[in-house]
Amino acid sequence: MPARFLFFAGKGGVGKTSMACATAVHLADQGTRTLIVTTDPASNLADVFGQPIGHRITAIEGVRGLFAMEIDPDRATQEYKDRALGPVRAFFPAEVVRVMEEQMNSPCTAEIAAFDRFTDFIDSPSGAGGEFAVVVFDTAPTGHTLRLLELPAEWSRTIEEAARTGGQTCVGPAAAIQAQKAKYDRALQVMRDPGRASFTFVLLPEASSVRETRRAVSELKRIGIQDFHLIINGIVPFAETVNPFFRDRSNMQQANLDPIQEDLPYPARKMFLLDGEIAGVPGLRRVAGMLVGADADYRISRHVPEPKTVGPAIPSTSAGRAALPRILPVNGRRTLFFAGKGGVGKTVISCVTAAWVAQQRYRTLLLSTDPAEHLSDVLETQVTAEPAPYPGIPDLYVTKIDAVAAADAYKARILADAASRGRSPEAVAAMAEELNSPCTEEMAAFDKFIEYASQDGWDVIVFDTAPTGHTLRLLELPVDWSRQLEVKIYASVDTAAADEVAKKRFGDVIEMMRDPARCTFAYVMYPESTPIVESARAMDELRTVGIEPGLVVANQVLPAEVCITPYAAARRKMQDTYLAEMRTRFNVPILLVPLLSTEVSGIDMLVDLGRQVYGEDIR
Amino acid sequence: MKVEIFDPPMCCPTGLCGPTVDPVLLDVNEMVLKLKAEGVQVERYMLSAQPQAFVSNAEVYSLVRERQIAALPITLVNGRVIKTGAYPDMQEVRQALEP
Repeated sequence: MPARFLFFAGKGGVGKTSMACATAVHLADQGTRTLIVTTDPASNLADVFGQPIGHRITAIEGVRGLFAMEIDPDRATQEYKDRALGPVRAFFPAEVVRVMEEQMNSPCTAEIAAFDRFTDFIDSPSGAGGEFAVVVFDTAPTGHTLRLLELPAEWSRTIEEAARTGGQTCVGPAAAIQAQKAKYDRALQVMRDPGRASFTFVLLPEASSVRETRRAVSELKRIGIQDFHLIINGIVPFAETVNPFFRDRSNMQQANLDPIQEDLPYPARKMFLLDGEIAGVPGLRRVAGMLVGADADYRISRHVPEPKTVGPAIPSTSAGRAALPRILPVNGRRTLFFAGKGGVGKTVISCVTAAWVAQQRYRTLLLSTDPAEHLSDVLETQVTAEPAPYPGIPDLYVTKIDAVAAADAYKARILADAASRGRSPEAVAAMAEELNSPCTEEMAAFDKFIEYASQDGWDVIVFDTAPTGHTLRLLELPVDWSRQLEVKIYASVDTAAADEVAKKRFGDVIEMMRDPARCTFAYVMYPESTPIVESARAMDELRTVGIEPGLVVANQVLPAEVCITPYAAARRKMQDTYLAEMRTRFNVPILLVPLLSTEVSGIDMLVDLGRQVYGEDIR
Repeated sequence: MKVEIFDPPMCCPTGLCGPTVDPVLLDVNEMVLKLKAEGVQVERYMLSAQPQAFVSNAEVYSLVRERQIAALPITLVNGRVIKTGAYPDMQEVRQALEP
């Protein structure tokens, strides 16, 4: 029987990895040889299983028949390069090999390589001495994943179009890469076959999560994917509704459950919000039991410590006051990046901060670089690809980097330039097709990012970034491209001058990002293990390009006054442990932001939360 | 009538990839299109995708072994090397194509 593929997708922080791992453990326990693969560049698989995994198929301890692998984009790139370089090494002199390797260091190669490795798993699901009956994909947060899933179709089309016209693509002449095209076509066919592939969206019963799932489903339908399932996670257990705070949250959730059934009429399972973290194989087996229904009458555990042990009441504006020198402009523009794992509240914190800063009469631009942008939801206004004033706060402007719109503008600009330089209509038409390659979108979004990051006329720019993996790539691109321009061997005089201009632009942005007087990197997390570990990793990675962390935001901290039931107290106790860890681990000011009983959206809530975090107006 | 171009190693032969557009490569692409429209058979080879093509042409292979990167690109018209180390322009190709 051919292998089956289970994709777990969804907004960041909704519990994809836990649900995917629990499902994989359950399948293996039933005697199915199962592989779980993560395509998230900021993977948490090793944290969940509590053992090192990495870029190789690894047997999971304590679960017979379960294997795991974390696709490492750097290693995938190296393997991809080695495959191409192997035959060249055998036949060509060292200099040729060196130049070819340098050329393949381009950031494009990394994207193509990670995606190529992903299609390999679908094409040939085997390893560690046998075939896999099921491959579970724990994917990156939505924006990034949609792109990965759409790439087989896009590359297949790019190669096909190139074969008809100029014959060139980034990955090679169309004629030489028909085998690759066939592989992408086969992957696409498998993804479209409901008998072989299913897509499980994990979502929370919250409006923003439902909206994002709806958008993602409709995009996947467009490429012919049909088999969808839902896991609605984080539901407040009925027993906990004796706590007024959780009763409010529960009511908010109930109000969102009906629209889910209407808008997303797919088989759905429900999961409760647990009073602690899911850790290790025993925890996953417990979740699997709840997921498949054997333990459907799960009740939250009652043997938890007394609520006396909770930490100080929050919010406390003293932390926010202390952080102001890193939030406000010192001399010249202040640029703020809010980064972190998916679902930790980057968007809300970005909006709250931008709104508060703008109310201090600083001309502020709030900008999302996330392909699955939530600004519009939180601000309750349609955010557009051009900066527009935010109604109600005079100095606040908002915009987003829309990769598709940016790519269209980028294409139009290049084609108009080519036409004005007297290129023939045929040549311009061929260029237009070549520019339809998936590379263009990333290049255009990056170009736009550089444009904003070096724009004058603002006192403060707040970047609401995409989840970690995607953002690290974006932030490292200026460095990568600068390096790539250095080794470009085939450049005419015109191009060399243009390359110098580009390098200068990138250099200025890199310098700004490295200067703590002008730029602050704020890492948002909730006080739990995986967001802390992921942020620490991201900090280490950005340190390698000279960017130091400036601020940490602890979000969704349970206010002391709501910890009146054992369940809430248990959660807060867990949070206190991690808040203490954050204080010792991160040597920067820590902002505390409370969990609210409702979703944060709209100007009133944003302004109110801003005062709770940063205090009253200062000017 | 056949034109073969052996490209130097590069990230992308379209000239459109990366942060700046490369007009030289666009010129080459435009020339290839024109030649094809006139019925000339044009093949381009990339070292990363078709190393075998570089090896199986004895003359190309020995040029690359001798002069390494400096030899590339190499252009052949009807099997004869007409230019090395740079791309030819349309006029050079037309001259070589004349009987």
